[in-house]
Amino acid sequence: MELNICHLYPDILNLYGDRGNIITMKRRMEDRGIKVNVEGCSIGETLDANRYDIFFIGGGQDFEQEVLLKDLGTGKAAEIRAAVEDEKTFLAICGGYQMLGQYYKTWDGVQLDFTGAINIHTVGSKERMIGNYMFETLPESSGAVVVGFENHSGKTYLGEGVSPLGKMLKGYGNNGEDQTEGARYKNVFGTYSHGSLLPKNPVLCDFILQTALERKYGQIEPLAPLEDTLELNANEYMKQRLSK
Amino acid sequence: MVYKRNEITREKEKIMGIRTRLAVLACKTSNAVLRRMGRGGTNLPGKIALKIDKDILKELSRGVKVTVVTGTNGKTTTSRMIEQAFEEAGYKYFANKSGANLLTGIITVFAQHCSLSGKCSYTHALIECDEAAFRKTSEMLPVECLVVNNIFRDQLDRYGEITHTLNAIREGITHVPDATLCLNADCSLTASLADNVPNKVVWFGVDVPIYKETAFELSDAVYCIHCKTEYEYDYRTYSHLGGFRCPKCGYHRQTPQVGVTQVVRTGADSSDIVLNAFGHSHDVHINLPGGYNIYNAAACVAAAEIVGIDEDTAVDALSRFECGFGRAEQFELGKSKARMMLVKNPAGYNQVINQISNDEEECKIAFLLNDRYADGTDISWIWDVDFEALARQSARFTRILVSGVRADDMALRLKYAGFDTGRIEVIRDYENLLEAIGADETPTFIMPTYTAMFDLRGEISKHTDIKAFYE
Repeated sequence: MELNICHLYPDILNLYGDRGNIITMKRRMEDRGIKVNVEGCSIGETLDANRYDIFFIGGGQDFEQEVLLKDLGTGKAAEIRAAVEDEKTFLAICGGYQMLGQYYKTWDGVQLDFTGAINIHTVGSKERMIGNYMFETLPESSGAVVVGFENHSGKTYLGEGVSPLGKMLKGYGNNGEDQTEGARYKNVFGTYSHGSLLPKNPVLCDFILQTALERKYGQIEPLAPLEDTLELNANEYMKQRLSK
Repeated sequence: MVYKRNEITREKEKIMGIRTRLAVLACKTSNAVLRRMGRGGTNLPGKIALKIDKDILKELSRGVKVTVVTGTNGKTTTSRMIEQAFEEAGYKYFANKSGANLLTGIITVFAQHCSLSGKCSYTHALIECDEAAFRKTSEMLPVECLVVNNIFRDQLDRYGEITHTLNAIREGITHVPDATLCLNADCSLTASLADNVPNKVVWFGVDVPIYKETAFELSDAVYCIHCKTEYEYDYRTYSHLGGFRCPKCGYHRQTPQVGVTQVVRTGADSSDIVLNAFGHSHDVHINLPGGYNIYNAAACVAAAEIVGIDEDTAVDALSRFECGFGRAEQFELGKSKARMMLVKNPAGYNQVINQISNDEEECKIAFLLNDRYADGTDISWIWDVDFEALARQSARFTRILVSGVRADDMALRLKYAGFDTGRIEVIRDYENLLEAIGADETPTFIMPTYTAMFDLRGEISKHTDIKAFYE
């Protein structure tokens, strides 16, 4: 077996250590003898979504957003929408997660159209939602308790057809109002969780990888367990700390 | 009662004088009390003084020529270098030594160096200032020279985006139009501070690559700050620093008046470079290792010129100054010689890694990760650090020690960097950690985040005689 990962805008959407997710996916596949190829696709490069099984999109700064939106408009947004409908696996974090939605409305009312790949939208607020946080993923997204760090001023709301990735246990999540965190639509996993997300949430990581493998190879055996002591220690430490 | 105009002014001055005196008194007293209690009173006294007199810093700094050092990385080391130059030039100066670099800490240090009437008898002050705090502090200080080292991503949980940091400094500069700016020509973000300001500018930089190989790094400035086109580079020194230019709008690196023209040697303890300063070539020995300190040294020579110290004095100072607090500071811990290298963000950490990788000796390495406010509560940034470069040399490391509040995350990061998990030792207790470090003669590199460094120093001071940070 083999997985091809596309890291979208690796030179721009890389603000909060999100490349740890790529490192982790690669390692956890290679430890099981599954080959992984990672390619970047950035501004001005053509995206051929057919070549990839997993798309990763990280978080970035507002400064580069303008450059990004222009580039998405040149055809990437359409490729992304098609790939989502084609049940390709997406992991999108923070700014990348927002970008998959319909639009972003700034707190003073300016609306920026995003890719519209999934039915969510984000509204800017003046206050930032920052801190360590914790949520429990729904059973259809592994059921694992995820610990991470959120840092966003946008409040995201889920539309019809999209379910939350999980239910908040501690922190703000999507909007600080409805106890939801992240989004799940077909094989899209969207979340606000930095941390990096996948290293200390190995159950969710394997679930995402399994999803991508099954999309490509049909029903397969569950992935073989790995020696995860350090992963689970890091997860457990934050779980304990946030439960106090 | 009817006052004449000048009487009103005099009355006003008298009242203001009383307020200043009161503020200084409160500041000095609370500082003395805190010290007697064995606590480093760096911020609280200034806070009290500010409550009593909101213009206190303006009063206390009147007539003092102030040099401010700000930027993401290297503030403390650059300040220590400039301080050595001040010392050797015989300036009557004082400095904020202990990283008390917020407004309140700066007020405390000015009050300490003033008479009770608020009169300062020093001609110069050397102030390290937090990037975000500079916006406010600059309103009240007569700045003669402003050094901006660089801008990197740093503690984004606190500062938000990199451009916020940059804009805070930019706004601060509008308060000090008479100050000469001493800017890093190689940093496209820092260099943009010279845009549309009336200030005089002296540029410093490094004209050539520093390392043969460098850690993998994400660039914090890929796109032109003016027109958002991708920069082209003639060469890079590290991260986004180097000979940048924008192919579209033409924004480019300025030729520095103080430029490093040759890196002769980068050793474990020091570096040798050739520095061109205002047209004169100098062979310079920098009494600290690391490429980032080459930048700091160039900044020091440029700043010295601005405040009227001749080049030779500044160059000599570089070979003699002592390491700053946690900046490659050396300790004898048990049988081991240890170097403490403060780490705060990916750019700084990668520089420390470059420095360790440049060496070939056997050593122990210790990683201490905390996530308190001063460290940055978000530890995601460790995934942007190139620990993989160290993992490739792991045979050289006799022990791989991990500690700090977030030791578990640090150990996990090392695992995914490629270190053998069986060799990663998590030692939470600092006493046990020091014992492990001191158990044999192999030298040790300790890499703590800010509060971890304080905690570890506290533990070290139980065994040896090191100074408390506020002394």
